[in-house]
Amino acid sequence: MKTLSVLPLVILGTIVGAVIGVALVMLETLPEQASAQAAGIDNLYSAFLFVSGIIFGIVVLVMLVALFRFRARPNDTRDGSNLHGVTWLEVVWTAIPFVLVLAVAFFSWNLLNDNDVSAAAAKDCQSIHITGYQCGGKYTYLNDGIGIKDSPELVVPVNVPIAFDITTMDVMHSFWVPAWRLQMGATPAQTNYTSATPSKIGEFDIVCAFLCGVGHTQMNSAVEGALVSKVRVVSQADFDKWVAETKAAAA
Amino acid sequence: MTSVLRPTLARCLWTTPLFAALAVFVTFVARSIFDMQPVMQENTFLTVAYIFGAIGFIVGIGGMDYWFSWIIGGELDENDHSQHGAHSWRDYFKFNTDHKVIGIQYIVFTFIMYLVGGMFAEVFRAELAKPGMQSISNGQYNELISSHGTIMIFTFMVPIFAGIGNYVIPLMIGADDMAFPRLNAVSFWLLPLAGIILLSAWLYGSYNTGWTAYPTLQDQSPFGQTLFQIGVIIAGSSSIATAVNFLVTIIAMRAPGMTLFRMPLLCWANLATSALVVAATPFVAGAMFMAMFDREMGTHFFTTDGGGTALAYQHIFWFYSHPAVYIMVLPGFGIISEVIATHARKPVFGYRAVAFSSAGIAVLGFSVWAHHMFASGMQSWLRVPIMFATLLIAVPTGIKIFSWVGTLWGGVIRMTTANLFAIGFIVAFVIGGLSGVMLAAVPFDLSITNSYFIVAHFHYVLFGGSVLTVFAGLYHWFPKVTGRMYDEKLGKWHFWLTFIALNGTFFPMHYQGLEGMPRRVADYAPQFAWSNTVITISAFVLGASTLIFVYNMIHSVRHGAKAGANPWGSLTLEWQVSSPPPIFNFPTTPRVVGGPYRYGEEGVKHAVFPDEQPVETETTVGA
Repeated sequence: MKTLSVLPLVILGTIVGAVIGVALVMLETLPEQASAQAAGIDNLYSAFLFVSGIIFGIVVLVMLVALFRFRARPNDTRDGSNLHGVTWLEVVWTAIPFVLVLAVAFFSWNLLNDNDVSAAAAKDCQSIHITGYQCGGKYTYLNDGIGIKDSPELVVPVNVPIAFDITTMDVMHSFWVPAWRLQMGATPAQTNYTSATPSKIGEFDIVCAFLCGVGHTQMNSAVEGALVSKVRVVSQADFDKWVAETKAAAA
Repeated sequence: MTSVLRPTLARCLWTTPLFAALAVFVTFVARSIFDMQPVMQENTFLTVAYIFGAIGFIVGIGGMDYWFSWIIGGELDENDHSQHGAHSWRDYFKFNTDHKVIGIQYIVFTFIMYLVGGMFAEVFRAELAKPGMQSISNGQYNELISSHGTIMIFTFMVPIFAGIGNYVIPLMIGADDMAFPRLNAVSFWLLPLAGIILLSAWLYGSYNTGWTAYPTLQDQSPFGQTLFQIGVIIAGSSSIATAVNFLVTIIAMRAPGMTLFRMPLLCWANLATSALVVAATPFVAGAMFMAMFDREMGTHFFTTDGGGTALAYQHIFWFYSHPAVYIMVLPGFGIISEVIATHARKPVFGYRAVAFSSAGIAVLGFSVWAHHMFASGMQSWLRVPIMFATLLIAVPTGIKIFSWVGTLWGGVIRMTTANLFAIGFIVAFVIGGLSGVMLAAVPFDLSITNSYFIVAHFHYVLFGGSVLTVFAGLYHWFPKVTGRMYDEKLGKWHFWLTFIALNGTFFPMHYQGLEGMPRRVADYAPQFAWSNTVITISAFVLGASTLIFVYNMIHSVRHGAKAGANPWGSLTLEWQVSSPPPIFNFPTTPRVVGGPYRYGEEGVKHAVFPDEQPVETETTVGA
């Protein structure tokens, strides 16, 4: 079969593509993983890069070889072959992507459910209400016995699942902590929910990801003149201390 | 003197203000009678002035003349072709019913808007070249990005395909013109109107809410936001009218023997696109009307303080604006099939699969809108089905990519500029498609959405995808439209500069997004300084490469070598008539005897003209 002559190229493309994919994964361009959910998402991303590298490798290599091997010479008036298609090949290149995307879909679905720790957070009653406004954020701790209202600073204990309720006082905002791989919008007149388990002590950037007016650029703890502060993840003991101090200051 | 009475731009000079003034007067009287305080509400008067001024413009240019005289029982000569065809350059500035004139009007106007939209991008890229704020403020930045997106999408990307289709499709199917030539001319003239209205927003404080203009932010925007809504409604009307025209033309006006499966794939692509436009565009018009009523009439569709639902806008908006993504790329897919088959001298590999995949994308395209809203707080059960549908779209899209590579394999590939753009498109579109598959996965999307990764993704599909197909098509049909060849050497410079600069501009954006840089920001963390400088330099090169194209086109129109009827040796019908084609396209009606891409078969034809004998009647189906 003439079309089978492409097979070695496809194999070569797979290898080249896999190398590209692995190289892209090795670049490690993602921010540090600071939540229990980050690793799963990063693994999904790495798997994507690997498979994408292979698909890119096959398509581009086969095409480049075709461009070289079947190029017209000067004053070449020949036509190509009159091949209209090869049914089995078309079935194969429909079926393989179909199976691949279904696998991606089920895997992602599973990950989405795993990453939702709001049930665990509700059991321990760890919930924080975020209020976005132009242009900043306020954090209210809903747990019994904490009772901090409208804190300008987000401080959370490490390794505790936390459920966030998100609302906005004016326009659409979006609460994004890249190190937690977590984003959820703040939509006018409704409450949105998300959850995460911070797994690393430290300070991490909070970014408003949704265009919210002239202050949007500075609603990002990483830029100059930031209007929001970073999230502080601390040990349970430090957290209790912060709660006590904050309440004392308020009283 | 009489030019102010006959349908010309000169007549628009008094009909436009007249209609606007009448509307303002009626509004003033109504406000006075009903004692609406304050009576002198400036924005209300401006809104009605713009809407009715727009109608006045269409009346002035001659869009209603025929229908008016029909209504009043005037004498109508159905064989009056005085408005058909261009005899001098002046005819391009008139209401003209010739699909070829309209096609050129579309292409030239939309390309000017492309340059305008590109200038907006160059200005804000200059600001982003280094960290900190240099030349423009946050507010101006928001206005610039909003204008860039809106101008590019509504007055360039969507309509330029209508322009190319307008010129090529009637010729391809062997028709004399589009089905509704007057409606076609009205569709075109709505477009400069939309462009002027969208740009005139800068006079009042421009819209600054992105091209998506979500409530409730858009309620805070100055009067320019209302003009955004009027402009989008007018551009959308133009789009719907053209799509109806394409549907009827392609279904009802094919030459004898042109069965559906003998149509060139561009016709299939336009058929699928037009179905999408007719079904989806009314939604964006609806969203815009409701948002405009909220702003100017005090209704509460989306304004939450009056009980409206801000999220509803997002659903309605994306119910159009996701199909719009396919509206902006499906015709490009069609162009690529034409270009690759012709320049590789080989039938399109798997014609039927490519045709059906267009239809498949059009159908699936309606079930994926909410993947723009994973982080919007919509019903959470909706995420998973939308994710499945979005991922499934990769399958028909993949079929197309593989089919084009299969078409190249075993051909005799001529590396013309048109073909280079088609090949560059495949490379860039694969990248954009793969990042699209990643973003369809909800957990990944929720970790990265609204970041520069998104900006990278949609510029790879809209620039690396759609814009490169536009260039491929413009180079491919330039000899047909002008009768002259473009300069291949300049064309190749244009391609290589564009292709390298596009990757330099948009590829680093993936990494910026992954590392935490949000989109639509005028300043950024110091860690992104280096990559932003690279992007800005690449963006300037990208802009400069466009000037090579403009020079090549303008120079070659007058000084290019004579092209002859069929310089590429293509089999499809538009190449079987002279270049440029006669005013009524075909001296005699062609009869189609086989498929459009029968390269590599001795002595076979796609179509014959009555004075010729058919060389061979087809034994196998065209595909």
